[in-house]
Amino acid sequence: MAQTILVIDDSASLRQVVAIALQGAGYEVLQAGDGLAALALLDGRKIGMAVCDVNMPRMNGIEFVKAAKALPAYRFLPILMLTTESQESKKDEGRAAGAKAWMVKPFSPSSLLNAVSKLCLP
Amino acid sequence: MSNDSENMPLTATRGDRALENTPGLGADRLALCAALLPVWGRHLATSRTQSEAAVAEMMSAFSEIGPHLDQAARQSKQITTALAQDASGIMNLAQACAQELQPLLAQSPVAVAATLQKVMGMIEKSVDDLERLSRPFEHETQMVGQQVERMYVGFQYQDRISQMMTLLHDDMARLEALLSNSMHSADDLTQEAWLARLESRYVMQEQHQRHTGQPASGDDAIDNTMDTTFF
Repeated sequence: MAQTILVIDDSASLRQVVAIALQGAGYEVLQAGDGLAALALLDGRKIGMAVCDVNMPRMNGIEFVKAAKALPAYRFLPILMLTTESQESKKDEGRAAGAKAWMVKPFSPSSLLNAVSKLCLP
Repeated sequence: MSNDSENMPLTATRGDRALENTPGLGADRLALCAALLPVWGRHLATSRTQSEAAVAEMMSAFSEIGPHLDQAARQSKQITTALAQDASGIMNLAQACAQELQPLLAQSPVAVAATLQKVMGMIEKSVDDLERLSRPFEHETQMVGQQVERMYVGFQYQDRISQMMTLLHDDMARLEALLSNSMHSADDLTQEAWLARLESRYVMQEQHQRHTGQPASGDDAIDNTMDTTFF
């Protein structure tokens, strides 16, 4: 059974780029437009990992990581931050919140898939 | 009527003087700015919407093509494997047949041996032709795969452009509100404070570089330095 990856980004085209890359490699993809919408999808279903933008409306990526880690069922959910944000201080915030990796956009599909293969839960 | 302060652009070079107290910025010029800003804002918003729609359309087409490209890559690999010089490959099979038939050729009547030689030659030629045909196909598939990777990267620049446009659009709307006196917070009505607030909202390196007038690193070419940090 294919692993499911939750993709969170307020840009629909960016979600599509990520989804195409992941689906091409055999992963199932769930999409959310911001942190709040993503949290609503953490309803007990099995998710291998999340790929999350940082700057989003309503609930940003760092807030989402903290909120997801507070849910017992998703405490160990690996989260890859995928962002245009290049400031070290933001990266530190992501690490402190509990993210597992930080990737700067634009990404190549091979580098994304490489990171996903390292982080995704079976 | 004109003086130095009227001709001076609204940049950080003018220190922290309050915009609302800018001397010489006459009512006619304020009215002109107030009229222009929403027009510029609407054009910016339309440009952003259209660029997003264009990329969404391209991505939609791309998602249709993707599985076909993957299939072509898989088939190319299968053909290469089928032709490979290992135990199950066609080339090995042809060589094994030739070896098996070799002792028979010596014992066979001349005409039969000649026919067998001819058939073997035909098989070898067919296998060679197949191998020759498959080689460029595999190369083409690899080349398409590399170009697809570049397209993925290129598509993502729309997201960066959209973020930059949104920021500008929002800041223009603030200035418009200031000019129409609907903004009363005095906290950031100095040029320094305004520019500092704007800069604090940047997320990309090139935005910071552009803010201070430095050449932006991403201006000339797509930056392919994909950076992943594992914590």
